[in-house]
Amino acid sequence: MVLAATVCGAKAAAADAETSVDFKRDVQPLFVERCVSCHGPEKQKGGLRLDRKADALAGGDSGKVIIPGKSRDSLLIRNVSGVDPDNLMPPRGKGEPLTSNQVAILRAWIDSGAPWPDDAIALASAQTQHWAFKVPVRRESPAVKNTDWVRNPIDAFVLARLERESIVPAPEPDRATLIRRLSLDLIGLPPKPEAVAAFITDPNPGAYEALVDRLLASKHFGERWARHWLDLARYADSDGYEKDGVRPYAYLYRDWVINAVNSDVPFDRFTIEQLAGDLLPRATLEQRIATGFHRQTLTNKEGGVDQEEFRCKATVDRLNTTATVWLGLTVGCAECHTHKYDPITQREYYQLYAFFNNASEKDVPAPRQAEIDAYKREKARWDNECDRLSDELSSHWRGDFSAVQAAWESGLSRPRVEWYVLQPAAADALEGTTLKIEGNHVIASGKSPAMDTYEIDFETGLTNITGFRLELFDDADANKGPGRAKNGNFVLSEFKLKVVNAKGESKSVALTNAAADAAQPEHPPANAIDGSNATGWSVNPQTAHGQVIIFETVQALSPEGKLAFSLVQHHGKEHTVARFRILATTSAPPFTADLMPPEIARALAMPATQRPIDLARDVAKFYREEVDPGTLDIKKRIAAHARKRPAEPPTKAAVLAENDQPRKTHIHVRGDFLRKGDEVQPATLSVLHPFQPRGPFPDRLDLAEWLFDPQNPLTSRVTVNHFWKHLFGRGLVATVDDFGTRGEKPTHPELLDWLATEFPRLGWSRKALIRLIVTSSTYRQSSVVRPELGERDPLNGLLARQNRLRLEAEVIRDCHLAVSGLLHDEIGGPSVRPPLPSDLTSIAYANQIKWKNSEGPDKYRRGLYTFMQRTVPYPMLMTFDAPDSNVACTRRERSNTPLQALTLLNDPVFFECAQALGRRVAAMPEADTRQKIRSVFSSCLSREPIQAELDRLVHFHEVQSRLVKNSPATARALTGMSDTEGENFEAATYVALARTLMNLDEFVTRE
Amino acid sequence: MKIASDIIQLTRRDFLTSTASGLGLLALASLFRDEKLLASESAASPFGAKPPHFAPKAKACIFIFMEGAPSQMDLFDPKPELNELDGQKLPDSLTKEVRFAFIRKESAVLMGSPRKFQKHGQCGMELSDLLPHLAASVDDIALIRSMHTDQFNHHPGQLMMNCGVPIFGRPSIGAWLNYGLGTESKNLPGYVVLNAGRGLSGGASLWSSGFMPSNYQGVVFRNQGDPVLNLSNPPGITAEMQHYGLDTINNLNRLRHQHVRDPEIASRIASYELAFRMQTAAPELIDLSKESKETLEAYGVDREDPKIKSDRGGGPGQFRAFARNCLLARRLVERGVRFVNVYHASWDHHSNLDVELKFNAQMADQPIAALLKDLKQRGLLDTTLVVWGSEFGRTPLGENRSGYKKITGRDHHPFAFSLWMAGGGVKGGQVIGETDEIGWHIVRDPIHINDFHATILHLFGLDHARLTYRFQGRDFRLTDVAGRVVEKLLA
Repeated sequence: MVLAATVCGAKAAAADAETSVDFKRDVQPLFVERCVSCHGPEKQKGGLRLDRKADALAGGDSGKVIIPGKSRDSLLIRNVSGVDPDNLMPPRGKGEPLTSNQVAILRAWIDSGAPWPDDAIALASAQTQHWAFKVPVRRESPAVKNTDWVRNPIDAFVLARLERESIVPAPEPDRATLIRRLSLDLIGLPPKPEAVAAFITDPNPGAYEALVDRLLASKHFGERWARHWLDLARYADSDGYEKDGVRPYAYLYRDWVINAVNSDVPFDRFTIEQLAGDLLPRATLEQRIATGFHRQTLTNKEGGVDQEEFRCKATVDRLNTTATVWLGLTVGCAECHTHKYDPITQREYYQLYAFFNNASEKDVPAPRQAEIDAYKREKARWDNECDRLSDELSSHWRGDFSAVQAAWESGLSRPRVEWYVLQPAAADALEGTTLKIEGNHVIASGKSPAMDTYEIDFETGLTNITGFRLELFDDADANKGPGRAKNGNFVLSEFKLKVVNAKGESKSVALTNAAADAAQPEHPPANAIDGSNATGWSVNPQTAHGQVIIFETVQALSPEGKLAFSLVQHHGKEHTVARFRILATTSAPPFTADLMPPEIARALAMPATQRPIDLARDVAKFYREEVDPGTLDIKKRIAAHARKRPAEPPTKAAVLAENDQPRKTHIHVRGDFLRKGDEVQPATLSVLHPFQPRGPFPDRLDLAEWLFDPQNPLTSRVTVNHFWKHLFGRGLVATVDDFGTRGEKPTHPELLDWLATEFPRLGWSRKALIRLIVTSSTYRQSSVVRPELGERDPLNGLLARQNRLRLEAEVIRDCHLAVSGLLHDEIGGPSVRPPLPSDLTSIAYANQIKWKNSEGPDKYRRGLYTFMQRTVPYPMLMTFDAPDSNVACTRRERSNTPLQALTLLNDPVFFECAQALGRRVAAMPEADTRQKIRSVFSSCLSREPIQAELDRLVHFHEVQSRLVKNSPATARALTGMSDTEGENFEAATYVALARTLMNLDEFVTRE
Repeated sequence: MKIASDIIQLTRRDFLTSTASGLGLLALASLFRDEKLLASESAASPFGAKPPHFAPKAKACIFIFMEGAPSQMDLFDPKPELNELDGQKLPDSLTKEVRFAFIRKESAVLMGSPRKFQKHGQCGMELSDLLPHLAASVDDIALIRSMHTDQFNHHPGQLMMNCGVPIFGRPSIGAWLNYGLGTESKNLPGYVVLNAGRGLSGGASLWSSGFMPSNYQGVVFRNQGDPVLNLSNPPGITAEMQHYGLDTINNLNRLRHQHVRDPEIASRIASYELAFRMQTAAPELIDLSKESKETLEAYGVDREDPKIKSDRGGGPGQFRAFARNCLLARRLVERGVRFVNVYHASWDHHSNLDVELKFNAQMADQPIAALLKDLKQRGLLDTTLVVWGSEFGRTPLGENRSGYKKITGRDHHPFAFSLWMAGGGVKGGQVIGETDEIGWHIVRDPIHINDFHATILHLFGLDHARLTYRFQGRDFRLTDVAGRVVEKLLA
């Protein structure tokens, strides 16, 4: 026991503080965690139950397993200790063997007589009695001896524990260390040398607190603490999976988080807006953008995928992430089966799932102000030109056209084909377009579905019909053409005709020899009668005027019944016809698809002097508006201008929206979305406090509010523990993602509970909570490792010092940029792509990922703005353990690898930083070598070098100067300047010196 | 317990002698925390290559991954009856419950294979005429014709084959092996990835360390520029400067350590020393000038691509790139690297199958066969597991995707596909499993990907049920909640 306790960390240290084993505290949880899933109320393998005293002491099929006072003879110990490999408990595949510490606990318990107090509740409720499921209790801060050390109650809790262990807290480090620690923790940037100097010499007794307040007010605070949140939100700038399409506006959500953190939006509101901003009364755009939290799920656009499968996966992810982030619970196991260790049934899992199952993904316009302004400017300019062109046309039409018209008429030949306009009797659309009959025209209006089929009936007395002519009309608006698609186009997939007799019997009429005035090469007129809805006739870019397509009947048609036409338009994207009429002829083919309307043709056939006045006017109008070369020129320019219409601001926010028609939720049997079990309704976990929805149909807003019910035992505990982890490198509960029965226990349970009650008391203010923690003496301790405690407390669970922490990936980048002066510290905006070699981005799917290196100041943005392409994550970030953004990351690893060394030594970005810093220092006026070395040193590390460090660097300077001297080429390469200015040996030397300092462990560490 | 300076000595010595993966405070701490290791008498040095659960057969693995799903009935699984049924419809009962990526069920018909199959070796294994070189090594190979998976889309399928679950953010086999066993390489990372072809569906997620620390993640050796990103010194930094600079860095780090006494600094120093060695070792690795002419010819590193059009095989130079990667894989294994991925993309022959599969097979066959022979000659095959596989297989139905004028390819098929393993304790010269007469379903010895993974770990002396990693409160495994060791595969 003693041996085990010395090596097993805080948990053991905690056990060690008490000398004897306590059944309820030490043994029963072990049974619950490791034994009872097979030896409990549900299953009694080997006839053994370990959840009830009488059953446990009675033993199982092999007899007694616990012999009080005799651990050596107890089968329980024999089996869990692995003495007999054939009878190991838990069996292979059913979980890890017990640790030696756990075996020692069981042994000690049995040797002490296996005391099992009668009030130790039966196991069924033992899980529910788990500490984390009980509402936190706020206790008075404990009395301590060294009251001078206590700055706030945090210190009292920590010190009381230390005093119990007879450990003195670590001293406070010097101010240089403190300001660097605070700056890195609060804003993620190193302090500027001037700020260090000012803080060191600040005589004000409240200097420290004033510094904290300054940092909390910095706009960079929001960046630093937003990044922590984005880890949980699995934020990324692309879809993930094979196609991994970019999400160019994902940054809207990221910026929402930065702003919310900077303006200290209380954590309850911060949460509610992200989980259910869309459901708030009169939800603002920003509140809807907040729901982007759950739009960070992956999207699979690979060919041939079942979208429902991936919708279910995203929904599962939303639920699991919510539980991990706010409840610190791993509900994910219950997706397929009732949770083995925590009281979460599979039914409950799908009840929670139901909250998210009814949400749909929407992309809503979310133009940024700058975009709106730019659009308005462009649009006004464009509108002006529209007006000018339209004026030009009107003034042109005021001219006299009689002479040119006469000349044109004289060149025309008499039309051979007579077209008769058919009068529509009924018009109907199958997919929701509204069709109106106006005169002999049919006009589409109202809803504009992606595809539609128009059905129009005509009565006619014509016999021996030889052809049909479909005339499509340009919509009045200059922006539109004969189609309803955005560009005025349409696609006529099929043009079909049936004759329907009085009995309702119908007969198809075969058509042939389709011809049109205009057609796209890939959409010829013949496509309209080829029997396939997948092909069609289309005319882009000839959309500035009406269009005509003609067909011949295969056999002359004398209909015995009405003519029923179908215009099938299945291309999609609203490629449907706007306005049309149909004509028929009995003349002999061939026909030409002449754009001239038959009425005009007939009028032109009469001598000009014999035309009735209205016909003469129609002909003059037709000439003026459709034929005159001057008109056509202006129209061409109008059409060209119409295509230049400025695009509306493209920015769209990815948000969640509640379905009007609730989607039913079923249990997925074994987690398979195709195997539907019982239907379930939204509800929360029964082990936690009661759920009180606003109405009969609970939604996400009810769930979000339930998280902040004063009775919720988890939300506040889990959240303050996250904050603690960011400021100490380790949570009070080390398993920040697991507050369930398998998680670690808090090192300071009373402190955790005090903080959990203090956070809501502070109005859920993130800044106030952080201020509270960082102004404690506990936080302000030195991080120097205390070897005398190494054995007792190797992980520093007792908090007898601060922790030294390797900086996060983004902060390492930021420190380089900041120290070198290259940092472009703009807040927010679209993500950027720092330069990468092209072969690295080509590893992803079929070389389709485009990584266009950012240029100019965007090359030097902070790490959190780096574009997160899920299948090609930025290598530097990955090398330093940034999360891959696929699941919520509650705790980053802090590995230490040779690739990190290579990156810091050789990554072009970091070398560029060394160059900038080296050149700057070399250029310092009137400074000697030692002064310059001190300057680079303090720029990088925020402190003065000690003598030994200075001596070493002076020596380095000498050697490096020697290596550089006499090689202008080397100097140019080192300074990064190709001209003679680059042949500065001193600058080259300082570049190498800066590179050395930027590679020190201390440079990438928060002390 | 040792005092800090001893730990540093130990850490340093160990980095110099036994491990290439960075071991930081985290690892150190988890070792402290892991009472079992300290309680275990066999764990003499917690920093060395870690001991397996039981005696291993394999020490290294080369996983050749033919991304996109090669057609098994044109390479490994002869189906004469399929040829006879060419052009016929499948009974609805077979396709009723089946989801396809692109096939339209109502009009799909079976498509035979034009390939000729022949028996090879003492074992008489049948292979297609597209694999003449591999045919000479069949007695070393265990061919599985009865693999199956749960996924029928590429990226989830590739995740499944590499990470055991079709979910992003999980560690791949290479990460698991390095986590479980450490690495014996002194100067190179324990997990190296070599790529050729047009780029993978899964990208970097396929060699991710997932929730494990980044030192277990695959390191991509590039085909151009530095073999490892940021391996070369920046311009102007000469070898002398680099050496002296590192000396200064380590010196200053030691000074700092005297003050803060953090063992993490010792790890940092060791990392820099290893990085420095990698700067020599990696260029040496990719320098093939010391390889004999016979070896280079055997692998075919100077072969030209044939002049046929293959959109999916990648741009020009694939024959050379792939052959070189096979040779590099042997060199990596020789140097103690634990896991090497050799990727080529793509084999996703929805159309133009006969032409493009031939192109890919010509590219891959000779170098892979050469690799097997080479490993054997050098006595490395006994301890090196070579795997040839992909995410799933292809349908016996021709692909009649909407918009295709002619049927010249096959769709994705997760229910039955082929894969082979050789060396590293695998019993060669055998065929495991069997599919029905058209290759639709498995009729004998189905092997799920989780079983395949369990078997790989077994060959490395690891019990798949015991190799776990705690994340978000759960003990994760490569084999998720399934997996059984395929005894037939074991020598």
